[in-house]
Amino acid sequence: MGLFDRVFAGADDMLAKAEQDLSAAIDELGIDAPMVMPDTGYFLACIYAYTGRKVAKLSDLKEAFDDVKALCTREQKTEDIFKNGIATAIAAEIIEAVKYAKSPNPYEDSIYHGHFSDAEVRELGVPLVTQEIPGFVVIIGAAKSDDEAFELIKGYQSRGIFVFLIGDIIDQAQRKNISMGFAVRVVPTGKDIWSVGHIISLVVRAAMIFGAVQPGDWDAVNEYTFKRIFAFVNAFAPVDDITVACGGGAIAMGFPVITNDENNMWRVPKSLIIQPDTSDFIETSLEARDIKIKVTNIDIPVAFSNAFEGEIIRKKDTHVDIDGSRLDCFELVRTKQAHEIEDHSIILEGPDIDEIEPGSKMCAGFIVEVAGKNMQSDFEPVFERRFHNFVNCAEGVMHTGQRDLIRIRVSLSAFEAGFRLKHIGEILYAKVKSEYESVIDKCQVRIYTDPAKCKELRAEANEVYDARDARLMALTDESVDQFYTCILCQSFSPSHVCIVTPERLGLCGAVSWLDAKATFELDPNGPSQIVTKNSLIDERLGAYEDVNEAVSKYSHGALEKVTLYSIMEDPMTSCGCFECICGIEPFSNGVVIVNREHTGMTPLGMTFSEMASMTGGGVQTPGFMGHGKHFIASKKFMRAEGGPARIVWMPKALKEIVHDKLNATAKDLYGIDDFCSMIGDETVTEDAEALLEHLGTVGHPVLEMEPLL
Amino acid sequence: MGFKRSPQTFSAKVNAVTIGTGEKAVTIGGENVFPLYSFDAPIENKPKIGVQISDRGYNNAVAGIAEYYKGAENFVDMAKKAALMPGADFLVLSFESANPDAENTSVEECAALAKEIAEAVDMPIVVEGCKNKEKDAKLFDKIAAALEGKNSLFLSAQEENYKEIAASAGLAYKHKVGAESAVDINLAKQLNVLINQMGVAGENIVMNLGSAAAGYGFEYVASTMDRVRSAALSQNDTMLQMPVITPVSDEAWSVKESIVSQEEFPQWGSMEQRGVSMEISTAAACLAAGSNAVILRHPESIATISKLISAMCDKEGN
Amino acid sequence: MALKGLDIFKLTPKTNCKECGNPTCMAFAMKAAQGSVPIEKCPYLSDDAKAKLSEATAPPMKSLKIGVNETEHTIGGETVLFRHDKTFVSKNLYAVNVCASCVDEKLKEIENVDYERIGERMYVELINLVYEGDKDAYVELVNKTLNKGRVLILDCECVDAARAALDVCADAKPILNGANEENYEQMNALAVEKKVVLGVRAKDIDALYDTVAKIEALGNKELVLDVTGSSIKEAFANAVQVRRAAIKDKDRTFGYPSIINAAALAKDDINMQTALASVFTLKYGSIIIMQSMSYAQALPLYGLRQNIYTDPQKPMKVEPGIYPINGADENSVCCTTVDFALTYFLVSGELERSGVPVNLLISDSGGYSVLTAWAAGKLSASSIAKFIKEFDVENKIKNRVLILPGKVAVLKGEVEEKLPDWKIIIAPNEAVSIVKYFKELEV
Repeated sequence: MGLFDRVFAGADDMLAKAEQDLSAAIDELGIDAPMVMPDTGYFLACIYAYTGRKVAKLSDLKEAFDDVKALCTREQKTEDIFKNGIATAIAAEIIEAVKYAKSPNPYEDSIYHGHFSDAEVRELGVPLVTQEIPGFVVIIGAAKSDDEAFELIKGYQSRGIFVFLIGDIIDQAQRKNISMGFAVRVVPTGKDIWSVGHIISLVVRAAMIFGAVQPGDWDAVNEYTFKRIFAFVNAFAPVDDITVACGGGAIAMGFPVITNDENNMWRVPKSLIIQPDTSDFIETSLEARDIKIKVTNIDIPVAFSNAFEGEIIRKKDTHVDIDGSRLDCFELVRTKQAHEIEDHSIILEGPDIDEIEPGSKMCAGFIVEVAGKNMQSDFEPVFERRFHNFVNCAEGVMHTGQRDLIRIRVSLSAFEAGFRLKHIGEILYAKVKSEYESVIDKCQVRIYTDPAKCKELRAEANEVYDARDARLMALTDESVDQFYTCILCQSFSPSHVCIVTPERLGLCGAVSWLDAKATFELDPNGPSQIVTKNSLIDERLGAYEDVNEAVSKYSHGALEKVTLYSIMEDPMTSCGCFECICGIEPFSNGVVIVNREHTGMTPLGMTFSEMASMTGGGVQTPGFMGHGKHFIASKKFMRAEGGPARIVWMPKALKEIVHDKLNATAKDLYGIDDFCSMIGDETVTEDAEALLEHLGTVGHPVLEMEPLL
Repeated sequence: MGFKRSPQTFSAKVNAVTIGTGEKAVTIGGENVFPLYSFDAPIENKPKIGVQISDRGYNNAVAGIAEYYKGAENFVDMAKKAALMPGADFLVLSFESANPDAENTSVEECAALAKEIAEAVDMPIVVEGCKNKEKDAKLFDKIAAALEGKNSLFLSAQEENYKEIAASAGLAYKHKVGAESAVDINLAKQLNVLINQMGVAGENIVMNLGSAAAGYGFEYVASTMDRVRSAALSQNDTMLQMPVITPVSDEAWSVKESIVSQEEFPQWGSMEQRGVSMEISTAAACLAAGSNAVILRHPESIATISKLISAMCDKEGN
Repeated sequence: MALKGLDIFKLTPKTNCKECGNPTCMAFAMKAAQGSVPIEKCPYLSDDAKAKLSEATAPPMKSLKIGVNETEHTIGGETVLFRHDKTFVSKNLYAVNVCASCVDEKLKEIENVDYERIGERMYVELINLVYEGDKDAYVELVNKTLNKGRVLILDCECVDAARAALDVCADAKPILNGANEENYEQMNALAVEKKVVLGVRAKDIDALYDTVAKIEALGNKELVLDVTGSSIKEAFANAVQVRRAAIKDKDRTFGYPSIINAAALAKDDINMQTALASVFTLKYGSIIIMQSMSYAQALPLYGLRQNIYTDPQKPMKVEPGIYPINGADENSVCCTTVDFALTYFLVSGELERSGVPVNLLISDSGGYSVLTAWAAGKLSASSIAKFIKEFDVENKIKNRVLILPGKVAVLKGEVEEKLPDWKIIIAPNEAVSIVKYFKELEV
């Protein structure tokens, strides 16, 4: 028998039972007898949600049953599985409802919960919507042993998953003395499979309450449950036809079914999963339903708070000194496939810090492996750069540096309190997972302390670092599909918007394109938003329709257009935290650049702060522009006006910072050697005329260029 | 000849949000002009005033407040008196005592009180938490259940607890959600977006853009409100079109000017008058900047601000 | 800004002659575009260029000086309707009403309120002299109030009495607030003759507009507009529409500062006057006349004004120094934060509420908030150590506990190294938690 036939057979069985029970009730109570579920404003919720019908009497229920029958179409299409599945669920609701028609509280003297009140729907709904409860499971049938049942239920409980039990597993839980009830989040729903009707009733009411789904809007119900209700089913072998049909309903609602029954069962990716090893039910289920378990506490024996961030561990107080300047140490984030990672596993290879002489040095390498659907390898360095913040927050632990130049000290008192290397793993696991939950689903930490292994892995790590640097170098504005905004500074410069591109970092110098990209992925409603680059207006200027739209939108209308590569035509605005300002020097047709740290005069006749007062505040000032230091050596630096060759003066200190890269750029663009030596500085002159003379003497290329004005 | 008028009316407008039910329900927002610019177009709903009472009582309050609530034995009694305050449009219940650093009153107790008050008064109710974000999330959940059907406003959901409050007060019990951010237009918008993504319609959100007493960084409040209102009207930014409520009293009654005794600063004169003045000045400035509702405490302040609102918004001759 | 610096630069001789006082023509042009240097400073601009530029760079709203010497104030000159668009430049001034019968008592009251807040003197800058029909009594009133360190406003529609008053006080540059649609010709002649600013009023905004136009036609542009009208609603409508016409619609006829008489709008209702003064501080009153100015009114009103007239790009700063709180002495602990006024007020307010004696050390951190100052390198272990040394803290205070803001916990170790005698502890991240923290602090 195929899957279709099993579903159809199961649906038939459930409907037959429903019809029979309903007829019996009508015979007993009369067709006009009231049919009211207690403590709900949603009638028979499944019927109401899927058909819009408000059942109040047994006669209504009879009519509803005819609707349900009509759902049981029998073509061999996926749609039929869904329809029959939902019909089965509604039939289950009818079977259970009939009990309430006969008695106001049919489960009064049993352990079974039966119907859920609206209050319970809200009580469970709120934490489900906020994801405080990450999801719920419906466990059907009997586990292979009482112990296995115990492990499974406790496993879900420890992860905060709400548990509904149906059938024999309830007896198993009772024998293991598992405390049950709505309050403890393990609910013995009912003995028979049709008690699943109560759970579906709860689910569809959540959709109507929290999702404002209109009764009768079939697609909207299923869309809501798929998108917002993180439920799934664990069905123990043997699974009968009725249960298979119920599973069809679950799948229609977006809830995957995980079973260990291999007989007569068909795998449907993401929906019907056969997992013969029941000890893997939890992992398999969570992965199938994309449920991430939040990390709420960090399991370490010392205090953890940012109050300890600035703590310094002195040599005499040090138990162990992991010193990257002397030994092979490193830390590294790597992106993996989900199946390659066991979440929260902390693996130590090599001796721990209780095997060394107190006060001595040792080597260590930390590899944090992460997986997530939205994870991108570009985020690896972003996470890595935060490690020192994370580790520093532990009392008695100090962390400085990054990559293979880290230094970690653990104090004697932290060691005595029981702090070991695995606790660094715990910190990294908990922080990476909680800070970056939007992109990370799973995380594990490997720690190596064997010197030979550290040496080998450090070399590998260096290859990764090099590859990353190379990628950063290779990134150009042309090679990416999108730029990003950054509006972090708007609190004091309300109309300023930075457009961050690979070759033009934020003017504060702190936000690169990769940073902005990560900011967007991690906080999609945050200060960095995507700017597409589909409609180019002028390549020379770096003018795009998309950029102009973004600037107008995020400056709340204050600004209409900016160009990316010109300082004369609609130059980008500046907030106030620019590292440098460049302004045109009319006598030489060049530009003068001055950095914030330089307090002296410039050949423009203005100091940094005078220029800053004219360029800041999100105002467009042609001829003047704020920018980051690293933009100076960019090939896009005022490309519209001829590029870095326009630079005629910079403070000496700034020249030193950009020296190598600017020379390389000038060589590339113009074939000029040692371009920096042609640029004036305060040791040459602070006077415009003298500067012009100097430029003539050194043969500065600007003298051959078009006039700026 | 005369002056050529050029009214600034906009096709976009601030959302009108109703709080409470029945005859006493109040509606704030709805205007398509800058704050109080009734000469450009009629103000759809004039700004409203909330009278704030605390579950910690006002035994140590200044005379004018203590006198007003004299004889009130408990929070419910206070609420009944507050509901009769001339000039007040809605009642603001502040559950300060629930703060874990204060009495740490249980959420169940607070919810029971809220329910009792809601049954005793017919004024719309705005619920304020205890300034502990974690506790507020739990507190609002229980109070929202207790006040089901009352269409109350919950102040406030913040970045850290908006999910719980949006899900519970906003979705499960269909109240209005207050979105509180720290005087920054982008943060305000971000929070509105997030609450909206939870499923709470923009029409059910009221913003608290942050507050400050006059002299204590009020420029940030004023400029944030200016920018938010401008984006809502001239840019038609739907995620900033929520009306604004500003809790004035908490700030006004905690700055030095309002709490230093006359003994300590004889030259400054009556402490009570200083507090009233601070509350009035801050509230008036908030209204001029764009608040659609202000929360006040002292009967004298409420009387004055109510008179100001009428003078600004009522039709001439009314 | 109508003209960009580069447009102005193109009209300069481009010789860097320095005769304008600027080292380069570019520097001159950039400053002229900002309005911080008058165009006329350049001796080589053609008359044509000058005329074109002064029109374009002139502010849409007249900037006027009133008073003389230490009582001199500037009003008007605003270029934006919202402070976030750039900044408001001339803070509104307060006047208190004085009449012949109450002058002695009122002067005492006016002089009583005089204090400093964040580097600004807070006092009643103007006295509004109400003419009550008796010329001699009015002159007497002028005599009594002249030389009290305040600028006078002659609130007087009687030309004869105004002349008599100005005969006494014209040199002190008072405001003659008395022109209306009937008397404007004589009043204007008087104001021009006595070289004082003329206040213009009229029965409604249309009449005001026409009257101003007529006075302008007579050649006088030293005007303020009394927009009070007959009701609160009208006053607000007038104040907003006048300012908006000038700045947004570039209607120069309304490009003058305004006077609002709150005392007249809410006679004897002091609370309402406080409310009105607050509204008009935000929306476009240049001079606000009050019936009184007690400390209770002054504290919020001057504070509000100081806030609103802060340049959005230059945060308010408090003076660096040691601020003892709750009677702290040399044995009390120290805590430190930045000189950003908002942070200072927040932190000092919470510290006061804690009741614990603390020495609050405010170091120069560029007026930034804690995290910003830290990121900009303005709040660092060195800056704290430097402050301790420069202000001689170790000799002034015996206690050796220093509490750092929670947000810069990262500085702890470095500060410990720079200040080895001190015990460094970390406060909470948010000011809200200060009261509890200090109450439970055991050191």
